[in-house]
Amino acid sequence: MTVTSAGTLVALIALVALVTLVVRPRGVSTVDFYLAGQRVGVATNALAICGDYFSAASFLGVAAAVYVSGLDGVWYAVGFAAGFVPVLLFVAAPLRRFGEFSIPDFLGRRLASERVRLVAVGVVQIVILSYLVPQAVGSGITWQLLVGRGLPGLSAYATGVVLSTAVVAGMVAFGGMRGTTWTQAIQFLLLLGALVWLAVVVAGSGFNYSAAVGDLSAEPLANPVHDDTGWHLQPESNHLDPTAPATFGQPGAAYGPLAQFALILTLVLGTAGLPHVMNRYFTSPTGTAARMTTVWVLGLAGLFYALAVMLGTAARQQIAAAVDDHPWLEELTVDGILRVPEHALPVLGRIYGGDSGLAVVAAGALVAVMSTIAGLLLAAAASWGHDVYERHINPRATQSQAVWAGRASTAVVALAAGGLAIAMQPADLTPAVPSIVAAMVTWAFAIAGSALTPVFVLAIWWRGTTAAGATAGMLVGGLVSVSMFVVGALPVGPGLGQMLVTPTLVAAPLAALVTWLVSRATTPPDDVERQWLVLHGTAADRHAERLARLTIASLGTTPRRSGHGTQRKGERDADR
Amino acid sequence: MEHDDGVDEHDTPAEVDATFRTLRRVAITHVVLFLAAVMGVPALSLTLGWWSGGRLAGGMSPGFAMAAFGLYAFFLVIGLAAATLSSAVEARMLGGRHDDDNDDYPADGELP
Repeated sequence: MTVTSAGTLVALIALVALVTLVVRPRGVSTVDFYLAGQRVGVATNALAICGDYFSAASFLGVAAAVYVSGLDGVWYAVGFAAGFVPVLLFVAAPLRRFGEFSIPDFLGRRLASERVRLVAVGVVQIVILSYLVPQAVGSGITWQLLVGRGLPGLSAYATGVVLSTAVVAGMVAFGGMRGTTWTQAIQFLLLLGALVWLAVVVAGSGFNYSAAVGDLSAEPLANPVHDDTGWHLQPESNHLDPTAPATFGQPGAAYGPLAQFALILTLVLGTAGLPHVMNRYFTSPTGTAARMTTVWVLGLAGLFYALAVMLGTAARQQIAAAVDDHPWLEELTVDGILRVPEHALPVLGRIYGGDSGLAVVAAGALVAVMSTIAGLLLAAAASWGHDVYERHINPRATQSQAVWAGRASTAVVALAAGGLAIAMQPADLTPAVPSIVAAMVTWAFAIAGSALTPVFVLAIWWRGTTAAGATAGMLVGGLVSVSMFVVGALPVGPGLGQMLVTPTLVAAPLAALVTWLVSRATTPPDDVERQWLVLHGTAADRHAERLARLTIASLGTTPRRSGHGTQRKGERDADR
Repeated sequence: MEHDDGVDEHDTPAEVDATFRTLRRVAITHVVLFLAAVMGVPALSLTLGWWSGGRLAGGMSPGFAMAAFGLYAFFLVIGLAAATLSSAVEARMLGGRHDDDNDDYPADGELP
């Protein structure tokens, strides 16, 4: 690592730590620690949601999947971006209006059942861990490429995993949701900045996107494999037409016909069940603000994924053409194709920006990992601290004790994720899937979309949903999705195997059906009509808006503070 | 609970139920359009040769162009349309003045 690279990374960590320090919660209120006081504006929350959502899978994984599989890799970008449309239509506003701290808290209160709450905690923890491990893997891969050396006794990969997880766990425990919101918003802007910079320099060098897709599609798609004879390129099988070669611009390089739809649906339905993303909606001041936040997220996601797909394409063409002029590429490539596809963006950064360019992209990757780890650890803290500790272990806990329980749980979950990431060997898994990081995140989406989303949507939109129905639905969705993973890992044939590892197409309808059948046979909570007023009425929104108007008016009538009042109103209007 | 700005911080069950049904229609209409687009693009890639084999200016196929940037613009447009319509429905159907405040349900101005 050069001095420039090291300086970039140190400056980045220092900036994020400074923001966490400045905006940390002063009190010990759980509403402040978990929900940032429920006063996060639309633009800020949209940026923070993007920081939460755009993980290593989005930054490194989508470009890597496009790099390896062409159009079949683009479906990752489509699925990740599309997931917020169902969130906007079915979840955002009612979820915020009902309030609470977490998905288990919402389900537990809505269905008046502690059993539902505890089952939801179990599912949420599985989703969080499934999502955390690939983030840690992504940070290990990035450290390996950027630094290449580890701490004494640790490999470079393990050092990246340990450092990123430990640093973020410390910042989350210290900063809570308020500190994390601002650091995530800034981290997303840094991440988007890195992507935009790379796109600009690539486009500025004369890269023709459309022509590149055409050129790459003119020849069979081949990728490096390692066997007894060493590294060599192997043409990809065409899963749609075995008699024709797979190409970059046509479907079939990675998935069969059913698996293409299964992958997209898994990602679309999974987003609404991601605990760290859904928890962010509780921090909005109103349901309407939560809905508009999602519109902003859709716009930012579109920009982000369009750039990621473009850069994955550029990497495929430009890296192969750059091998002769950049000897350092030889040890990373086989006949011009990268051995580890997640290296696509960092390598592109180094080609166009030297060591500084590598540092910028690597910093973007680490930022993506850190902001997502932060959101996941906070969701884990809310779930363990609020839903388990406050509800079941120490119901008389003081606010301070509850916050400390949340802080302790971040450390435990971070340790578990780091340990699992170190135990895995991503190099061994890479040949099996287009991008190991994107594929692992897909597992989290699959469990969330199979076990949580159907129950979540039914609880919001169907009065007849009962606690027994929700419990059965979550268990069936979770068990079916995990069982399909396990069977999919066995040698059952490429087409069926790919379908089985994206199981939402089967598991989600099954979970919804079981929830409906069991709910029909049992009794909904007594106060369901009153809950409906809160979920789908806007009285609380209007109350909050009226209070805000009164506060601004009172500040405006106080001569000494009138300037601040006007400024606050302007800021608020701009933010909304 | 009436206020001088003409907005009531109290929803009746009938109002909320009517709004809920309207919003459900809005959501279902938009999700059908959304699913048609998000599933239609890969379906066309599998069924129509020119969709993934044809070449637009420069060499990119229509299918690749839709997956690479067209769909994201569509998601934003459909999201903005649904959010605007839903908020307009809520503003029109909820929050009017009530002559009778003796409802069976307490005002829920406070968050739970």
